[in-house]
Amino acid sequence: MTALLEVRDLSKHFGGVYAVEDCSFSAAEGQVTGLIGPNGAGKSTAIDLMTGFKIPDAGTVLLDGTPIAGRPPHRISRLGLVRTFQSPREWPGLTVLENLVLAAWNGRRERFLRSLRGPTKKEKAAAADELVRARQILDELGLLGLRNERAGNLSGGQKRLVEFARIRMARPRLVILDEPMGGVNPVLGERMATAVLGFVAAGTSVIIVEHNLPFIERVTDQVVVMAAGTVIAQGPFDTLRSNQAVVDAYLGEMPTYDGADA
Amino acid sequence: MIDYLVTIFTEGSIFAIMALGLNIVWGWSGDFDLAFYGYVALGAYMTLVLTVGPASSPTEYILGLTLPFPVAVLLATLSAMLLALIVGAIALRHLRGIYFSIVTLGAVYVLYILAGQFVPLFNGYNGLSGLVAPMGDVLGIDYSSYQFFYVALCMVMLTIVLFGVTRLSGSRFGLALRSLREDERAAAAFGRDIYILKLKAYVLGAGLGGFAGALFAGYLTAFNPSSWSPVETIILYAAILVGGRGSTRGVVLGVAVMVMGLQEATRYLPEIAGHPSFAPAFRLILTGIVLVVFIRFRPQGILPERRMRDGDPPGSPGTRPEPAPGPQPVTGPALETGAA
Repeated sequence: MTALLEVRDLSKHFGGVYAVEDCSFSAAEGQVTGLIGPNGAGKSTAIDLMTGFKIPDAGTVLLDGTPIAGRPPHRISRLGLVRTFQSPREWPGLTVLENLVLAAWNGRRERFLRSLRGPTKKEKAAAADELVRARQILDELGLLGLRNERAGNLSGGQKRLVEFARIRMARPRLVILDEPMGGVNPVLGERMATAVLGFVAAGTSVIIVEHNLPFIERVTDQVVVMAAGTVIAQGPFDTLRSNQAVVDAYLGEMPTYDGADA
Repeated sequence: MIDYLVTIFTEGSIFAIMALGLNIVWGWSGDFDLAFYGYVALGAYMTLVLTVGPASSPTEYILGLTLPFPVAVLLATLSAMLLALIVGAIALRHLRGIYFSIVTLGAVYVLYILAGQFVPLFNGYNGLSGLVAPMGDVLGIDYSSYQFFYVALCMVMLTIVLFGVTRLSGSRFGLALRSLREDERAAAAFGRDIYILKLKAYVLGAGLGGFAGALFAGYLTAFNPSSWSPVETIILYAAILVGGRGSTRGVVLGVAVMVMGLQEATRYLPEIAGHPSFAPAFRLILTGIVLVVFIRFRPQGILPERRMRDGDPPGSPGTRPEPAPGPQPVTGPALETGAA
């Protein structure tokens, strides 16, 4: 078990507010790592810092030993770290299938002159293979019948599944899912859990931010608990129940929690 | 009658090239560029200063070369792209939406004022003239049949542009630009360098604008600040919106309807004594009305952007028989509850 992502002493402040301060944790290859904590704990900021959407004030992020903190989002994505957002960010005017095709980034094929020249036989074959793979993924997630539908017309839960399908298509080394259950009918939970575990089976490790604790318990191998911008505990979910700091900061709030975070 | 058709097809081809250029910027990559007509004007000005020879007093302008027309057109196009590279590099770095538009509007007004007030550049408000029948003498075309040559030239150029634009539109480059229009944060999360991609689209669009401007100069034989104003970008937007934003066929149709159609429809309006500007004003009012009607009732335009339709190649893996044909409840909750 090696650390695929290692975060060391990450800090970010906005004016006088320390959103993330000396945050350190690691996520192992081939595992699902949960990232939990109360609202305002700095989880979302931490994700933005890891994926290049915000620049850290201090600290390092290593993706398989490569420093990535401060690099622009597209570079980090190309290195194999892809993220989702709190609200689904499908490309609404494009079809579901186009959403998938575009998720598999290929810089050479997107070059202007190459596009003007038109695809070669080999590129056409590669594109056809890609379509087959996209259809297979959609089929697995039960979205095949919607492939020609504009993604913006889908329901909230379907959009989440399209995002999952895009990740499957992109085949990153690590994906960070930011509240994938947010706004999703809990009935879909089992399907989402299967999809998350499917990532690992397909070779993509997962970091998942989620308030739905039964879901976290179901899918994660490790859980990182954040509070007030820093990591207060890391370990398997079971061990955290007996951790008083974690209970005080977060789990203690559980009885009123209904799992339908929006 | 034949002269009339020649005029319409020449102007129509030139405006269609312009609109196709702007459509790459706004229709594909989603940036509401208000500087666009500036690139058209620069293309026209540069073509003139590169072909008409040295300035003689009292006129003043830069360069004053006598290059062959095709070379001048090429250089004029490149100069429009260079200006777009500078404006785009600044405006696209961090600005989006209305902030981007304001900066580009500022840029085009700087160019407009410079062209009008800074006489040594393009001879100020008197502008440039003297590009009569470019390539006519080289090709041995006499004056009476020159207009047929020029309309053919413009239509051939439009055909070439259409061919290239159509190919780009369906390519990975075109699709990647659409992803920026739809959601650029997601595009970045999936590896797209949004700044560079948007800049490429911006410069490419401006290049088509400059190219159309160069053809325009050859058609008008002269160009000065009264022959253009930054507001004309809005007419091109009207054409794109009515035709179908993002759609190549739609944009050409939009130019036919909104630029050529409205112009011809209002050409023979009765003169109202004492109000010579009635017809042009009425044209703008009509443009506005059509625009409002389309935004309200058909925002996708007459010929909307076509998206990929994936059929079922028989026997290919991953496909399975569809449910019974006919409208499917695609947005309903059926899929969610059924799968639980």
